[in-house]
Amino acid sequence: MSEVMFTLDGTPQRATAGVTIAAALISVGVRSWRTTRVEGRPRGLFCGMGACFDCLITVNDQPNIRACLVVIQDGDVVQKQKGTGYE
Amino acid sequence: MSEEYDIVVVGAGAAGLSAAYVAAQAGCSVAVVDSNERPGGQYHRKSAEDSAYVPAGCANPWVWNSIDMRSATTAYAVAKTDHGFTVHLRGPDLDRGGIPIIAKVHARVMIVATGAHDRHLPVPGWDIPGVMAGGGAQSLIKGSGIVPGARTVVAGTGPFLLAVAQTIIDAGGEVVAVVEAHRVKSFLSPTLLLAAPSKAGQLGHFAKTFARHRVPYLLGHRVRAVHGGAQVESVTISKVDDHWRAIPGTDRELKADTLAIGYGFTAHTDLLVQVGCRMTEFTDGGLAVSVDDDQHTSVPGVFAAGETTGVGGVDLAEVEGLLAGAGAARWLDKQPRLSNERSLNRKRWRLRTFAEKLGEVFRLRDGWQQDVSDETIVCRCEEITAGSIRDAITDLGATDARSVKLLTRAGMGWCQGRICGLAVDSLCPIPPTIAAKTAAAARPLTVPVSLGALGSERGEEK
Repeated sequence: MSEVMFTLDGTPQRATAGVTIAAALISVGVRSWRTTRVEGRPRGLFCGMGACFDCLITVNDQPNIRACLVVIQDGDVVQKQKGTGYE
Repeated sequence: MSEEYDIVVVGAGAAGLSAAYVAAQAGCSVAVVDSNERPGGQYHRKSAEDSAYVPAGCANPWVWNSIDMRSATTAYAVAKTDHGFTVHLRGPDLDRGGIPIIAKVHARVMIVATGAHDRHLPVPGWDIPGVMAGGGAQSLIKGSGIVPGARTVVAGTGPFLLAVAQTIIDAGGEVVAVVEAHRVKSFLSPTLLLAAPSKAGQLGHFAKTFARHRVPYLLGHRVRAVHGGAQVESVTISKVDDHWRAIPGTDRELKADTLAIGYGFTAHTDLLVQVGCRMTEFTDGGLAVSVDDDQHTSVPGVFAAGETTGVGGVDLAEVEGLLAGAGAARWLDKQPRLSNERSLNRKRWRLRTFAEKLGEVFRLRDGWQQDVSDETIVCRCEEITAGSIRDAITDLGATDARSVKLLTRAGMGWCQGRICGLAVDSLCPIPPTIAAKTAAAARPLTVPVSLGALGSERGEEK
């Protein structure tokens, strides 16, 4: 199985090629990657199929990406997201 | 970017791909739109290395090659035109180039096969990371081979829980228990087993796996609370009565880092509601679209297949898809080449009868509401608690989900009430009519579209 390299908050990480960003994060032991707008509560994967928007994350400087839908690619710069992602 | 087709199929799961194949085989020009990066839908979700799903009897590669497959693309709105429909498309969340951010296709016929997501009931702590939909846990494993946690409790209601547990065990994960809110008599209902004898064999297979791995199947139990901070540490389960009310003194704590939960499914009916299709209530209490023998809805030129016609699982979705493809081709005066349409028709009615019975047997009860403390979040997007919803009802006179939404913002966030809609309905004093449920499912845009993206579409028209 081929691998891709990405960074999470600046730290280099490995993932199996072809998996979603959510799967890549869970596979390196990260289960939450966003805090909510109002109370700053941690969130991660919930519906797993694009319906709930809980798994939003910032990728390559673009906030509010559904981690469960987008496949990770070599060189992706992934950042945990706070609130709206524009703060 | 705008193109014309005879048929646009929305959804590349079992139903959508089956429909697309039959229609393309009959000589129709077909586009398939799907929000995932790879076709297959939820049941046939594949890893990057697996070979793609091909519906039974749909093996001709020439037919597949004739279909315009648009992956990582979401149909966010549909409009009727003089000649059919304009389906508005949005590219993936993350623009990597290659797929247009905004586009539209015109088609004489639209086949909606958009599937469903897990249905949820709130419980204290259900927003702690590690709580996820049963279908979400399954799609993680199927799509990437990654088990969501070390110790998983699978809970909710319906036979799908057994499939989730099986998938986790097959992938090498540990299932602490399967927690089913209904009692054993629901399962052994003779009408249910007679309707689909083949399903009894499947149950036997699950039973064997559970015995080998010592996984308790706790019938008449419900998860009443989830505990943890940064992630799930344990869940409290309790025995429940027939109304799903906890029986005092039966609480038990299960150590787990993951809770895979689901109380049936909610179909994605947005596009069908947008074009004004007649909706009904399925036996499971959810919204479904009415279709005739050709899977034709009440709107001429709009067909539907799979979970949108009533949640019935993958076998029914595939059969409905084949028949929808044939029906749509005929409606366009093309001759479908389905040799076994009569037997497919019989199979459809048999599976649909089974699905209807299943929906009835596993209908939701109200007892869960007692466990939802005022501090419990109900609307996950807007972080609205049960307490604020109850205040809106008792102090401000809200009677239905719409007034609760206007007063509290519950259901107004990113997911547009897809996850909390049912719970908000249930907490309201007046149960929703089909018209009210349909109105709640009328989302002008199925996913967020930025103003910049909409602007770029206008720019193109000049």
